[in-house]
Amino acid sequence: MTEVWWVSLIKAFVIINLLMLTFAYMTLIERKVLARMQLRYGPNRAGPFGLLQPIADLVKLIRKEAFFPASAVDVLYITAPVLSCFTALAAFSVIPFGPGWTIGDYYVSGEVVNVSISLILLFALGSLGIYGFIVGGWASDSKYSLLGSMRTCAQMVSYEVSLTFAVLGVVLMGRSLSLVDIVHKQDETFWFFGPQFVGLLIFFVAGVAETNRPPFDLPEADTELVAGYHTEYSGMRFGLFQMGEYVNMITLSALAVTLFFGGWYGPWAPLGPLWFALKLFAVIFIFLWLRATLPRLRYDQLMRLGWKVLLPLATVNAVVTAALVVAL
Amino acid sequence: MILADAGNILVWIVWVVAAFACLGSGIAVISFSNPFYSALSLIGNLASLAVLYLLLAAEFVAAAQVLVYAGAVMVMFLFVIAYLGGHADAPWAGGPSWQALWAVAASAALLVEVIVVIGLKTGGRLSHSPPTDFSFGSPATIGRLFLTDHLLAFEITSIVLLIAAVGGVILGSHSRETAAE
Repeated sequence: MTEVWWVSLIKAFVIINLLMLTFAYMTLIERKVLARMQLRYGPNRAGPFGLLQPIADLVKLIRKEAFFPASAVDVLYITAPVLSCFTALAAFSVIPFGPGWTIGDYYVSGEVVNVSISLILLFALGSLGIYGFIVGGWASDSKYSLLGSMRTCAQMVSYEVSLTFAVLGVVLMGRSLSLVDIVHKQDETFWFFGPQFVGLLIFFVAGVAETNRPPFDLPEADTELVAGYHTEYSGMRFGLFQMGEYVNMITLSALAVTLFFGGWYGPWAPLGPLWFALKLFAVIFIFLWLRATLPRLRYDQLMRLGWKVLLPLATVNAVVTAALVVAL
Repeated sequence: MILADAGNILVWIVWVVAAFACLGSGIAVISFSNPFYSALSLIGNLASLAVLYLLLAAEFVAAAQVLVYAGAVMVMFLFVIAYLGGHADAPWAGGPSWQALWAVAASAALLVEVIVVIGLKTGGRLSHSPPTDFSFGSPATIGRLFLTDHLLAFEITSIVLLIAAVGGVILGSHSRETAAE
């Protein structure tokens, strides 16, 4: 049951475009949801219900002048957004979205690549993605950008630890680092959000912080830092940074679905990718909901939460799970 | 058969690119005068090492290398360098020339040593690759080796890390007290 190489290539092409389409429409959904939660209409001019708004935004971003500061380090300044966007898109490739199908004579697997260490690969790509933010902020040669990238760096490194520790429980219960195996295991036994409820909570809080989403959006706190590390960016370079952030959020939501909510399996009816998409949008909606509901944390509160609450909790969770897995 | 040959050529190309990237970034680390660029080159060096691990069928080691060294550790380097600024005091910049001489001599000695050891240890085994089965380099295999053959080294490493963590806490709390005074 191996895939022909050109089937993999076509699938990768389709998935990456679906991912970018999801990103484009997520910006619209975000603005719509925020607007409705604040008793406004949101974008409703471009096309019916504002459905063409993402395309209008894209055209605007591409046509804008892509200036950069005279003292910026140009090679790094230009590579940084590309790097953060690339790692974000690449990380999604290990997320399984279906059981795999046989179409005609060809087998199509339910993920872009299936490696035995997909979870570590995903985190590794995520940790490389941080460089896009740091290098971009540093290369801009601007105070706000540098301060923003320092904050991004400190926050993402702190919460990455809790994020990784939070999934240890799932790895122990699934007895594998492969996301496909973990999903199969959940189908055989039960979805892990029940026994790993603490893990899910930590994962979600750390995930919101890791993607710099409100209420943890200190790296780009607009009242303090203008826009954080991307202050000096404009046009499509700014667009790439935005894309990296949103795709990271999609990947993290997909990871939550895969690790805690049974991936592509549904409670009934084998719909495969449809279940996956449905759960994915439910998790993304919670991200947006948080943004509309909660005010931003203070910086010391953020650090205290990360190191003194989430990390010990995640460690205890991992140890208790390990003991229970061995005992039962 | 043609496909297998194409695969071998691809592996060979990747190996050449990764090996030269490794050497090039290594030289770049010590030749840049701006520490920020040196740190970036070190990230490139660690990443190309990870590619070499991948070619040796050690996926887990490669991913861990990227996650821990290229990811977490180097972020700290960049953080500090960016915070202090590129023009901060660089203690070794423009040191006396005998230092450079000694460095070259020492690294040449190391190189000779490595070549001699590899030559003596492997004998004629370098010309063909050893058989590796599917579980080679998998997390389960590595974990088992840690807890059986290399238990002592594993435990000593964990103690060293614990000491480092305690030291970090003590240093941090000390500086906080002096700041409060």
